[in-house]
Amino acid sequence: MKFLKIWRTFKEGLKNFSRHWWLSFATIIILTLSLYVVSVTALLGIAANSIIKNIQDKVNISVYFNPEVSEKEILKIKDDLKIYQEIKSVAYISQNQALDEFVASENNDPIINQALEEIDENPLLPSLVITAHNSNQYKIIAQAVEGSDFRDKINQINYEKNKATIENLNKIMGLTEKAGLILGTIFLLIAVLITFNTIRLNMYSRKKEFEIMRLVGASNLYVQMPSIFEGIFYGICAAVSAMAFLLITAKLIAPLTKGSLQEGDLLSFCFQYFWIIFVGIFMLGVVLGVTSSFIAIRRYLKI
Amino acid sequence: MIKFEKVSKVFPGDFVALENINLLVKKGEFVSVVGHSGAGKTTLLKLIYAEEQPTSGKVYFKDRDVSTIKKRYVPYFRRNIGMVFQDFKLLTEKTVFENVAYALEVAGKSNREISEEVPGILDIVGLSNKMEKYPEQLSGGEQQKVSMARALIHCPSVIIADEPTGNLDPTSSWEIVQLLIKINGMGTTVILATHDKEVVNKANKRVVVLEKGKIASDIKKGKYTV
Repeated sequence: MKFLKIWRTFKEGLKNFSRHWWLSFATIIILTLSLYVVSVTALLGIAANSIIKNIQDKVNISVYFNPEVSEKEILKIKDDLKIYQEIKSVAYISQNQALDEFVASENNDPIINQALEEIDENPLLPSLVITAHNSNQYKIIAQAVEGSDFRDKINQINYEKNKATIENLNKIMGLTEKAGLILGTIFLLIAVLITFNTIRLNMYSRKKEFEIMRLVGASNLYVQMPSIFEGIFYGICAAVSAMAFLLITAKLIAPLTKGSLQEGDLLSFCFQYFWIIFVGIFMLGVVLGVTSSFIAIRRYLKI
Repeated sequence: MIKFEKVSKVFPGDFVALENINLLVKKGEFVSVVGHSGAGKTTLLKLIYAEEQPTSGKVYFKDRDVSTIKKRYVPYFRRNIGMVFQDFKLLTEKTVFENVAYALEVAGKSNREISEEVPGILDIVGLSNKMEKYPEQLSGGEQQKVSMARALIHCPSVIIADEPTGNLDPTSSWEIVQLLIKINGMGTTVILATHDKEVVNKANKRVVVLEKGKIASDIKKGKYTV
């Protein structure tokens, strides 16, 4: 019997959905817009975070040692540094390695090669390249290294040189997170209100119908169920359309984000996380549709 | 069957719709409730099917105090009562068949039962040839007959008709009343609220007259005297 009632109300919901196609269309458009705005905000937030993370991974500080410090000593210091929780990784760059990298970075410039030959010794210093978990931890790391007992073996720490970049990065990160959160919340709130009002108007236009159903002996749930199914249909249609618009937007913005994301660009990012994004939008759409229908219809069921 | 015990209904703004009503409707009776607009006829009926609750006093339906029925059980309670309204209250987007079938669907009847019972009841009200029509394709009298078929489909013990002839021409009105009398003849209690003089006089049944929320007279085989 329960299954029969669910099946009947499902059919009724489907019928209402297609019968009031103009109202359904308007509701879907509004819900699509709401979902689109929320998902674009979320996507841009995630992408911005990913871009910053990507830059963050490229930021590091180098600790240069005096030429007379042996490799063994440096490797010991490297092991000592690994104890710090803030430090993600420490890489040892020997003098020779530094020279190779320098020559390679200068594209084997013959003038530089000649100059190096004339000096007849490697002018570069061995170093440890430190990467932190978080860019705002570099200051503490630099201070810790400067205050360590191997201070006299250190020739130079390039923290000061990178300081401005790192601090800017920290600022941008904080700002993006805050802006994303505030904008996301505002848009979500607007989306909820607009969707709720649209569905409320939709239900208002059918209040006489609900009254008759109740008078004929339909239980509240029986009257509500078709509208709840309608809410699900709105959610599904709106989620599919919002996802399509989102992919189009990602495709348009993709050239601007090329190379700044680990996944390639924004479109590849969307495709990589397609199901997560889609399920997220879908759930939000269905929850918005169903809750709005459920609340909107309640006021007409007091007879 | 239905008993009003010292029932009063006061609406917000101190509008007294009913005052100290004592009324007993026995099983199988046909009662016409008459009175001017605003006399309290509709309120009296609404108290029976629990759309309104009395301010004081008690309304009993088959010895059960209606006000004790929990809100969520009201729809189930209403399946015992067939209701007919002046504005027909038909679902405009459903056909004649679907309108009547809906009352059975909500009660969880199977499709087989529905397809057997609905044509039968539509035959009784004389609409078996218009099952696939929509309400707007029917005349007022025919729409009211659909409404009556829907009210009858549960084989209710009571039919409550609130101004069922209010929107109909005299011929259709008489057809509806004849149908009510026929239903009453089959043992169903009928309570008819109306201010249609012709209808009451032709029916020649018990007449309860309401005036300013009070029962002014209650005559066993009465005429319209307001």
